[in-house]
Amino acid sequence: MAAERKRPPVNRPSPGEWLRRVASAAAERPEETFDAQPQWLTARSRRDFLLLGAGALATATIGWWLLPDRTKRLWLPGAHDRLDSLAARVGLTREQRERQLERVLTFDDDVAEVLYSKGRAVRTYDRPDPRPLRNNYHGRTPGPEHVVGWRLNLSGLASGRAESLGLETLMSRFARHDMNTRLVCVEGWSHVAAWGGLRFADLIAAFPPSPGARWAALRSEVSLDGRGQREPYYVSIDLETARHPQTLLATHHAGAPLTLAHGAPLRLLAPMKLGLKNIKALTNIAYTAAEPADYWNERGYSKYDGI
Amino acid sequence: MNDTARSKPAAMAPSAPTRASIPVVRKHHVLVRLSHAWHVPLLLGLIVTGLAIYWAAPVFRHAPTAANPRGDYLADAGIALASVFGTQGNPSNWLYERVSLGPSHLARALRLHWLFAYLYMVCGAVYALGLLRGGGWRALLPRASDPAEALAMIRFYLGVIPHAIARRPWPHPPIAGKYNALQRGAYFTMPLVGLLAVLSGWAMHHPATLPWLERAFVNYDGARVVHFACMLVLGGFMIPHVILVAADGWDTFRAMVTGWSLRVRGTRHGG
Repeated sequence: MAAERKRPPVNRPSPGEWLRRVASAAAERPEETFDAQPQWLTARSRRDFLLLGAGALATATIGWWLLPDRTKRLWLPGAHDRLDSLAARVGLTREQRERQLERVLTFDDDVAEVLYSKGRAVRTYDRPDPRPLRNNYHGRTPGPEHVVGWRLNLSGLASGRAESLGLETLMSRFARHDMNTRLVCVEGWSHVAAWGGLRFADLIAAFPPSPGARWAALRSEVSLDGRGQREPYYVSIDLETARHPQTLLATHHAGAPLTLAHGAPLRLLAPMKLGLKNIKALTNIAYTAAEPADYWNERGYSKYDGI
Repeated sequence: MNDTARSKPAAMAPSAPTRASIPVVRKHHVLVRLSHAWHVPLLLGLIVTGLAIYWAAPVFRHAPTAANPRGDYLADAGIALASVFGTQGNPSNWLYERVSLGPSHLARALRLHWLFAYLYMVCGAVYALGLLRGGGWRALLPRASDPAEALAMIRFYLGVIPHAIARRPWPHPPIAGKYNALQRGAYFTMPLVGLLAVLSGWAMHHPATLPWLERAFVNYDGARVVHFACMLVLGGFMIPHVILVAADGWDTFRAMVTGWSLRVRGTRHGG
């Protein structure tokens, strides 16, 4: 009784009282029981286990359909052909699989685009990683011949003309910008490296694309395949990414002019995209209204590649 | 079917049906059961595709050797396993060929990993919703008695086999709630590890778009290490989980499928 009189008239819970209320709201409740007839329980149980079995079967079928052929052969060497034709009978063909996986990729690209805001700066670092940057050319590294007399060819410009610019022109006409950013490879490794070069945005401002252009098709004519045969490499970059202040046409790496391994004499450096978009030994830029082809997209990878 | 049995116990008592009813405990909300089932193929798919992605650029590496030029520890494990079980292919790919989509499947593995990752996030949300709707979250929260109860459980588990061999009784420590302290700790931690796996996954997928998330894992490689560790913890949890459920008996497994259990505390109808 005496304790009750001491309480303040306003019913405001003290911190201790508030904690007790939270604790009692979060406390485990006694188990809830109900009475049921055994027949009902058996019927319910049968229904639920049949559903579980059907679900497991459907999941196994879809899982089988999604597996690469080599894995199927390894896991079930005798039966994979028969299981494949069974899956095809319920519509789970290889073509269907590719179409559905394409949709997953498009969905993931759409999510990435929603998350991305063009004004946001990519993280920069005080100093680059001390290790040397790895040469990840998927084919052979181009030889030095192309660097002499190299020119950057521009097309799809508002002027209607095609332009051809030498390295000296590019370096003298446009301001040099330096940055330490992380290059992230689709394979999973990454490297903080020091880059220097001109802003793609400055080039676009000096040589505006034709009205209606939304894309830049970037191409390296000097790229080589694994046997050293000429195999052009090409990527698509949307113009918003190209105009980002941290998107460089890099001429320098680690304080020195680009080496052949890293795309001499000029490469794209777009740190908000995966490394595979950062085309080396760039020779051609064409501005287009429709999205141009992308080398790795044609080989099953995403074409947005925004990180 | 019998509709009266579906209603609450209070409604059952007065009707007094001819056949004897038995008491049943409500266990897991239907959304918890569904997401629990979905989780199995999703986690398997994520591991299988994730290791095929890991193959392209291993995080855990030693200095290159002749047999293992990339210094990948999983290639070492593959070589060791291939020497035991034999292989027709490249021994350093032994593990990758069997527990992942296999080497040189990066594009396929990435697409599938994202497919499973989105479904995994949906699955996690459904699970959380089921915990909230069914009130099951209350049974998972840590409590002050947990350390002492956990030690008692560890002591119990250590004694099970010796006492079975000696044919001596070895009573289970008393459990105050739905789960014992070890279960509670595991079931409370696993969803958080799943959340951490999702967050570290996003940090790797979009380090430039979500720089705050990348920084939360120190850097890009930090996120990869955490992601890998989450995979080990989630995969490692499944092994004792399955063994203990199997040891606990049919009723426990059925409860995760049907949602009810016949093990009523304080009655003779215990399972």
